[in-house]
Amino acid sequence: MTLALLVQSAIIGMSLGSIYILMALGLTLMFGMMHIINFAHGAVYMLGAFVIYYVFFQGGAPYFAAFVVAMIVLGIFGYLVERSIYRPIRGGIEPTLVALLALTTFLQAAGYPVFGQLDKHVPPVFPGTRTILGVGISIERLMIIPIAGALVVGLYLFINRTRLGAAMRAIEQDKEAAALQGVNVNVVNGLAFAIGFALAAASGALMAPIFKLDPMMGEQPLLKAFIIIILGGLGSIPGAILGGLMLGLIDSIVATALGAEPAFLLSFVFIILLLLFRPTGLFGYAP
Amino acid sequence: MRRRAGVLGVLAILVVLALLVPQLGGDYYVHIFALVFTNVILAASLRPSLTCGQLNIGHSAFMSIGAYTSALLAKNLAVPFELSLLGGAVLATLVGVVIGYPSLRLRGVYFAMVTVAFVEVIRLIAQLWVSLTRGMSGLSGIPKPNLLGMTLTTKASQYYLGLALMLIVLLILWKLEKSRLGLIWKSIGMADNLAQSLGVDIARHKLLAFMLGCFFAGVAGAFYAHFIRFLFPPEFGFLMATNILVYNYVGGRGHFVGAIVGAIFLSLLSEPFRGSPYETIFFSIAMLLTILFLPGGLITLPEKLAGLRRWRAAAAPTPSPAA
Repeated sequence: MTLALLVQSAIIGMSLGSIYILMALGLTLMFGMMHIINFAHGAVYMLGAFVIYYVFFQGGAPYFAAFVVAMIVLGIFGYLVERSIYRPIRGGIEPTLVALLALTTFLQAAGYPVFGQLDKHVPPVFPGTRTILGVGISIERLMIIPIAGALVVGLYLFINRTRLGAAMRAIEQDKEAAALQGVNVNVVNGLAFAIGFALAAASGALMAPIFKLDPMMGEQPLLKAFIIIILGGLGSIPGAILGGLMLGLIDSIVATALGAEPAFLLSFVFIILLLLFRPTGLFGYAP
Repeated sequence: MRRRAGVLGVLAILVVLALLVPQLGGDYYVHIFALVFTNVILAASLRPSLTCGQLNIGHSAFMSIGAYTSALLAKNLAVPFELSLLGGAVLATLVGVVIGYPSLRLRGVYFAMVTVAFVEVIRLIAQLWVSLTRGMSGLSGIPKPNLLGMTLTTKASQYYLGLALMLIVLLILWKLEKSRLGLIWKSIGMADNLAQSLGVDIARHKLLAFMLGCFFAGVAGAFYAHFIRFLFPPEFGFLMATNILVYNYVGGRGHFVGAIVGAIFLSLLSEPFRGSPYETIFFSIAMLLTILFLPGGLITLPEKLAGLRRWRAAAAPTPSPAA
């Protein structure tokens, strides 16, 4: 592998990593508060990409408008899922997981009759390439890094600087105590669902011009996000960010050298070994 | 005592009906019901893990290991069915230990995530190891089951093999569930910290329950391989894994028959749209409706209906004494 190829894979890895981080952040946030894993995250990613296809490509709206529409529409969808699935089951972790699994398979399968059998493509939003350190990188992929970065910073500020963010942290520490202090746990959990779904939609919307669109497209990023949160430690936001960057780099460099599938197999072996020797992940706290 | 006799009577009738399928129906029904038996084995073998409160979303991966191992042993080395089946089931169990040991010591969600990812791992291996598995061309030419020196050539004889395997597996799993071990699994599922405080080694028992499931999933896979005689990696994906869970939930988790009822009911009902997206849509809706409106599954339906009737009767207007 030449140096140029390494630089190129590193930059592509960072941009992939940014997508993984957006996915993993929502998952880890929801896990921290509600102790559930949102299996529907991949399906929401897929829906986010399809919103871009219909609103931006078919509808002719500006890309950023379509991007915001995807986040808002799927954020509302997340809130509704909290109302109609999470809340009625009331804290039963296992039935909630199974219900979310069912929602996932429903959205994926319904995607075929609704969106059609054929793969869809979205034309490039930022065409062209840019030369960095002597290697050409598509601007499309480069642009993902600042947009995802802005969303991550926004989420960080929201959680740490606002009253609602404080309420989320309170629920994460102790749900009952938070409720006793006047936090409306239901509404804040709904908000966490909305934020998680909106971030997954954003990831899908960012990837829409790069990958082909089909109803199963969310499965890979979902599995990557699982690996990241196991790597970084469940519930840990810094863990999700670092894990995402690591996996993005591994994915891109190993994939360039060996192919995408061996890269995935390798990361799986890695997390199994990690669980053997450091069960709470790199940054996780003991449950 | 009378109830027990009634249950045994119903079971006897069901077994006799199952024995008569090849005589009464054609090859189509033989085929469908043999697949139903596979699904019943898969659903019932997931129960021990579920009873411990462990969500295994990767059961199809172990079926795949059993199927490919048994098929390759028989095809390449002419191993008889009884040994190739055992080989597939044992390999599935060993692989189960490798991924179960690290992930079962932790919270349930870790295990759930690891098993989901594992389905993809096995699919990729089956897909990429072309020299062994033929990859995406699919493994064809798998010999018919060769049992105790006899080759079962007719579909009907293979059907009886499936029926026998299912009954044996169900008997073993039922006995285990009724044994002390089954009680320990239940206690772990209800309150693992309490069970631990009473001296139960929860990690070991969770692993044992999971290994048993892997073994019988391997058995189901081996039968499937020699019955269908064609294996295709994506078949054993995420969808099949979730279906096995759906059988358990829709049938009902509270009793051993739940998994069986769920597997039979859903496999037969989804038969008209097998292989199309509508099959999955049907399964997902059945699952969501069950969890939201009938959390105990189909086996609690008679009870629910009786309760509803009582409630109606009680709510019926009665003349008030004041009037």
